[in-house]
Amino acid sequence: MKANTVASKALSIAVMAASLILLFAALALDFTGSGFKGRGALLVVGMIGFFVGLYLFPTPKNHRKIVYIIFLFPLLFTFAVTVIIPLVLGIGYSFTDWTGVAITKNVGLANYSTMFHDPAFLYSILITFIFVVLNMVLINLVGFLLALLCTSAIKATGFFRAAYFLPNLIGGIVLGYIWQFVFNNVLTKMTNTSASILSQSKPALIAIVVVYLWQYGGYIMLIYITGLTQIPGDVLEAAAIDGANARQTLFQIKIPMIASTITICTFLTLTSAFKQFDVNMSLTNGAGSVPNFMGSYLSNGTQMLALNIYNTAIAKNSYAVGQAKAVLFFIILAVVSLIQVRVSNSKEVEL
Amino acid sequence: MVGKKKRNNGIILTLVGILIAVYILFPFYLVVMNSFKKQAAIVANPISVANASFAQFKTNIDTVVNNSNFNFWYAFGTSALITILSLVLLAVLGAMAAWVISRNNKKKWATAIYMVFIASMIIPFQVVMLPLISTFRDVGKFVGISMLQSVPGAIFAYCGFGGAMTVFILTGFIKGVPYDLEEAAAIDGCSPEGTFFKIIFPLLTPVVTTVTILNGMWIWNDYLLPSLMLGQNGKVKTLPVAVQAFVGSYVKQWDLILTAALLAILPMIIVFLIGQKQIMHGMVEGAVKG
Amino acid sequence: MKKQVLALALAGVMAAGLAGCGGSSTSSTAASGSTKEASSTAGGSGKSLRLVNGKIEVDAQLKELAAKYKEETGVDVQIESMGGGVDIQGTLKGYYQADNMPDIFVNGGATDFANWEGKLADMSDQAWVKDTDAAYTDADGKVIGFPYTTEAIGLAYNADVLEKAGVDPKSITGPDSMKKAFETIDAKKDELGLTAVIGYCAEATNLYWSTGNHLFGVYEDGGLKRDDSTYYDMLSKDGSIDKDRFGKFADMVALFNQYSDPAILVSGTYDQQILNFASGKYAFVTQGSWIGATMTSDDKEAYDAAGDFKVGMVPYAFEEGQDTILTNSPSWWAVFQNDNTEEAKKFLQWCSEDKGQDILVNKAGFVSPFKSCTYVASDPFAQTITDYTKAEKTSSWHWLGNKEGLAQNALGVVFQDFAAGNIPDAETFASTIEQVSKQYYAS
Repeated sequence: MKANTVASKALSIAVMAASLILLFAALALDFTGSGFKGRGALLVVGMIGFFVGLYLFPTPKNHRKIVYIIFLFPLLFTFAVTVIIPLVLGIGYSFTDWTGVAITKNVGLANYSTMFHDPAFLYSILITFIFVVLNMVLINLVGFLLALLCTSAIKATGFFRAAYFLPNLIGGIVLGYIWQFVFNNVLTKMTNTSASILSQSKPALIAIVVVYLWQYGGYIMLIYITGLTQIPGDVLEAAAIDGANARQTLFQIKIPMIASTITICTFLTLTSAFKQFDVNMSLTNGAGSVPNFMGSYLSNGTQMLALNIYNTAIAKNSYAVGQAKAVLFFIILAVVSLIQVRVSNSKEVEL
Repeated sequence: MVGKKKRNNGIILTLVGILIAVYILFPFYLVVMNSFKKQAAIVANPISVANASFAQFKTNIDTVVNNSNFNFWYAFGTSALITILSLVLLAVLGAMAAWVISRNNKKKWATAIYMVFIASMIIPFQVVMLPLISTFRDVGKFVGISMLQSVPGAIFAYCGFGGAMTVFILTGFIKGVPYDLEEAAAIDGCSPEGTFFKIIFPLLTPVVTTVTILNGMWIWNDYLLPSLMLGQNGKVKTLPVAVQAFVGSYVKQWDLILTAALLAILPMIIVFLIGQKQIMHGMVEGAVKG
Repeated sequence: MKKQVLALALAGVMAAGLAGCGGSSTSSTAASGSTKEASSTAGGSGKSLRLVNGKIEVDAQLKELAAKYKEETGVDVQIESMGGGVDIQGTLKGYYQADNMPDIFVNGGATDFANWEGKLADMSDQAWVKDTDAAYTDADGKVIGFPYTTEAIGLAYNADVLEKAGVDPKSITGPDSMKKAFETIDAKKDELGLTAVIGYCAEATNLYWSTGNHLFGVYEDGGLKRDDSTYYDMLSKDGSIDKDRFGKFADMVALFNQYSDPAILVSGTYDQQILNFASGKYAFVTQGSWIGATMTSDDKEAYDAAGDFKVGMVPYAFEEGQDTILTNSPSWWAVFQNDNTEEAKKFLQWCSEDKGQDILVNKAGFVSPFKSCTYVASDPFAQTITDYTKAEKTSSWHWLGNKEGLAQNALGVVFQDFAAGNIPDAETFASTIEQVSKQYYAS
């Protein structure tokens, strides 16, 4: 037994040592600027090897802790590299003249000042808010009505649910092109008009709402259906015995009983509408005219916040300003989420 | 009397339901129907069935599948590879992390990690996307691992971005798994990792399914992340990126674009038809818990 | 012990897998490197080049060019075509960010080349440079752009229709005669089988380049000497527009709005516009000489059915006496500096020689910018370009140097708005253009 422990200890230490050597060798290659192609592989093998060595280390007392570390590390590592580090860097970059490749100086709040003086950006914020509110109301209303329909006494509810949910399976890019076809080719043919509604800013915005409703309504419906079916049957029965009509049952029993579902759906639609990008890009790519907004003629009549950020950084090559806009976007979403937490908590207390 | 009224109501509601279904399915009809036509026939009449032929459908499919900007099978394979590997890794690594967190929920470090995960769920992709690309590029060049333009890089990023929600949903579930089970296993001499993989992980099947469906829908349809990390028309492209590249490369040939759209949505619809119940259930569960 | 061995083995597999993943790009380049050596010793070469082409309409022809080159040298040239609504420079920047630069790619002019300062190969020593006047030279005199064709912007017309209508294209010398010609044709629209006098499309999401670049370019250069850049300089300074000149230009756009096919005016597509012109449904179309390639390939059926009518171009004479069309190399191919630079240069040299020109001129319909080239394109517009060039009735074009994204993010929408009637008259159109352009240059 003892010999066994010693052997495994030796093995463990040997593996760890070898891995560390690999790791340091890889890092040394990096720092010396060697072009050796295998250095990436060395680094990865070294890192994994280290954990294998650690795992093999025979310590009954601390084995559980080692397992914990090994279990947590991979996800935390990817999470830190893809979310935390870029977030910190991004906030920092928004105060510099970052070009996407290099930084030469700190510019303070200049990027923020630039974006708040840009009518096109302010307009994007405005229409994003309008879009979000419109969407929230419409999608919830339609979703709820569809849910009532699908829980009522009609046949083949399974088919209806699946059919209504179907658009949600399609990604925004593909969906946007399909609807561009519908608006530009089919609808103009059906109504015998020459100009598609996508060519005018306001109708085009409505078009985006319609498409989004089409995509998202079925999903919200499903959540409402779940909420409605969770209302205990005896409550509804009792109401029926008391002579409540359908309307009374709806407003005085069903809606109050699914309050938490309504909260969930409201915030779900809220945050997802804020982040809307794919459909916006493939349907209109932000084009549209606004004759007079704060004294300027704008050409980005249907460009919402997420697309504006993308275009600022990628198409116009203003990475620093784009990043500053993104930080503002983050702040707006954070505030919305905080309100959500508040509201949900107070609801739970009520119940 | 009452019964008759109810039946009438039912019929009217069913009719309403059918009307709505027709409206919702109409664009799908257009996509399918027009993939069977030539450009000229589509321009002439995009709604009618006239001039649709199987031969034209075959021609359209051939053109689209072999188009160098679309490269359907390659894009499909890349999308499938990225999605499946990301889902497996997210499920396993997420469950591992969630288990550690929930079994240490009285310790400060575990609570801190958990809170960071939850807080990070509000971070929009836009705020990290630009530095993410430059970091990946610089670090990748430095250590000699290419993170951009590569499938492993995309999987890595999906594990990072999907980690928070996965851990959040899984932790909630694991907290409800009685600790007694693990203690019993420990007394029997089972190691902690053995306990996790042999006892806990199998118990997580329903919630892992939920998480996988949610992540799967997101990863398969995601455009922005792969378009930035893999390039808008790079060597490696996922299906949404390929559709975008394909459409962008044509001035507007609807016969081909709609055929491409059909090819792009078909895999998801097939999966949906097979796992309809689970998918709808999973999407709801995820929303209610997330 | 058994468990440990198992764990080690498992970890080994995982490590190998991950390392394989992590290093996949490196290992695959290593692999391709070795195949390169192997095949070069075998006589051929496994090298491959990637060319980003900005003219989607000749995608098939360039692929034919690539196939021919592969047949001759074994070097695989991948053609990646972008067109329509794609922001090519934006995409290329994305490629650069993602470490995915093509070896050869298209650059439109000063603005585009400025994006790649210091990153492009100097081609001054190449043999083809002596054979052309159209090479793109940077400020230091280095040749960094390979010209591949000559294009023209003018008001394209269907010669058969004009003849039947009794309108002599030569009579169109200014706004009044243009209006008169339009009226004459409009009156005989039905008997000529026309849908409309002119196919003008101001759609802004996908076709912004037609209005915001080409038509606007006519304002910048129409009627001027090749070295005259007065209005371009004015614009470059701060987005200013010459009110008088633009006012007349705006009147011409108003005329187009009035006589265009309403079906394509606001929401049309390039395909519809060219298909209809090729089918003989319009007397005029507001696209340049590149449509010849579309008419003889994609729209061949319709063009044949319409009798393969003769085409020509008249100047966009928005001022009396403007008698030039605009010609230039529309863009140049630049070589990105990397390991493939020499291979890429070899390919371009080959393109300028007989076998390359055979395909570029005879198949793609390019009007060769190389003096040694003896081929005359069968393109419907090739003769027109030659005639104007010989008569020295051409202006240059400078819109390639307009501020990046001006057409896509600013001007295109204004043209669309005017076409849709949201902008009531030519005067408002002119003032809006000026406002938008100044604003764009200021931001």
